[in-house]
Amino acid sequence: MTPAQSSDARIETYLSRLESALRGVSSDHKDDILREIRAHIMDSAEHSVDHAGAVDRVLRLLGTPEDLAARYSTECQLERASRSFSPWLILRTCWQWAKLGVKGTLAFFVAVIGYSVALSFTVSVFLKPFMPTRLGWFSGPEGVGLIIPRHPEVMHEWLGNYFIPVIAAAAFLSAIGTTQLLRWMMRKRAPGLAIPTERSFPVAQMPGEAAIKLRG
Amino acid sequence: MATNSNGDRGQNWEAQLRKGCLEMAILASLWQARLYGLEILRALSETSQLEVAEGTLYPILSRLKAEGLLDSEWVEAEAGHPRKYYWLTAPGRRRAREMAGAWNEFSEKLTVLVQPIVGVSGAGGKER
Repeated sequence: MTPAQSSDARIETYLSRLESALRGVSSDHKDDILREIRAHIMDSAEHSVDHAGAVDRVLRLLGTPEDLAARYSTECQLERASRSFSPWLILRTCWQWAKLGVKGTLAFFVAVIGYSVALSFTVSVFLKPFMPTRLGWFSGPEGVGLIIPRHPEVMHEWLGNYFIPVIAAAAFLSAIGTTQLLRWMMRKRAPGLAIPTERSFPVAQMPGEAAIKLRG
Repeated sequence: MATNSNGDRGQNWEAQLRKGCLEMAILASLWQARLYGLEILRALSETSQLEVAEGTLYPILSRLKAEGLLDSEWVEAEAGHPRKYYWLTAPGRRRAREMAGAWNEFSEKLTVLVQPIVGVSGAGGKER
């Protein structure tokens, strides 16, 4: 095998590992990424005398295929979730985002609290017909709010027949409100903060990070 | 040990600073011309000393495109393979202008603030 053939083989191995690591990326987008990375490798090694050495260098600078794929998916996920109305996708993305910093952690807490409130309202709307007198929006010695008191007779229930429509509306509004707030937070994130930091990618695996640090 | 950790913190701060400027630098590099990935990397490293790893640039380009700030097109090149050229969309130009404005204002004020520090150490350096 000549050096040129072996570096071609290394490029193919790199691209096929990248392809399998890009799970969850639409096939059009995946083809586009692979084509662009291939063009980049070819351009980088094009005019160099030591072709095999140049290929090695560019593959090293690209990082492992798995790291590169992870960076693509983190970059794209926030963008996708900020356009989505799916609480599940938004919650998952906030979890990923939380690993990147304070703002993400805050978003994750907003997501957990907001969606928990919406879920508990929804569940109580469905439970109300089965426990018409015990479940309600009470105030009294046992507390205030949406509760199932041990002694309902000492408590005052505020909503009466309006319980189901009011709580259903509250469930709907808290779900929509949480979603919109998180979408807004994702869109408003400061430029640059969505770039994966060394916390999500160990410094040793990021040649760029090392280059940024050592230079100057 | 203390000096070491201070040094690490300094380097870390510098890395964060450079990273924070990366998006603006990428948009700025496309202000005057359509470029493909490798040309953007070269432009950044030549003009701003921002050494960006290939593996960092392409995912960011992909996101900026998804956000509608950039658009791209495959162009057949003499090299024998097509290259993906990027350019700023109207919202991308707007964003670049906003970022450059904010950067200018911010850096002007900070330059005034750090002037005594830079001035003193600069003068000290000359004396030696």
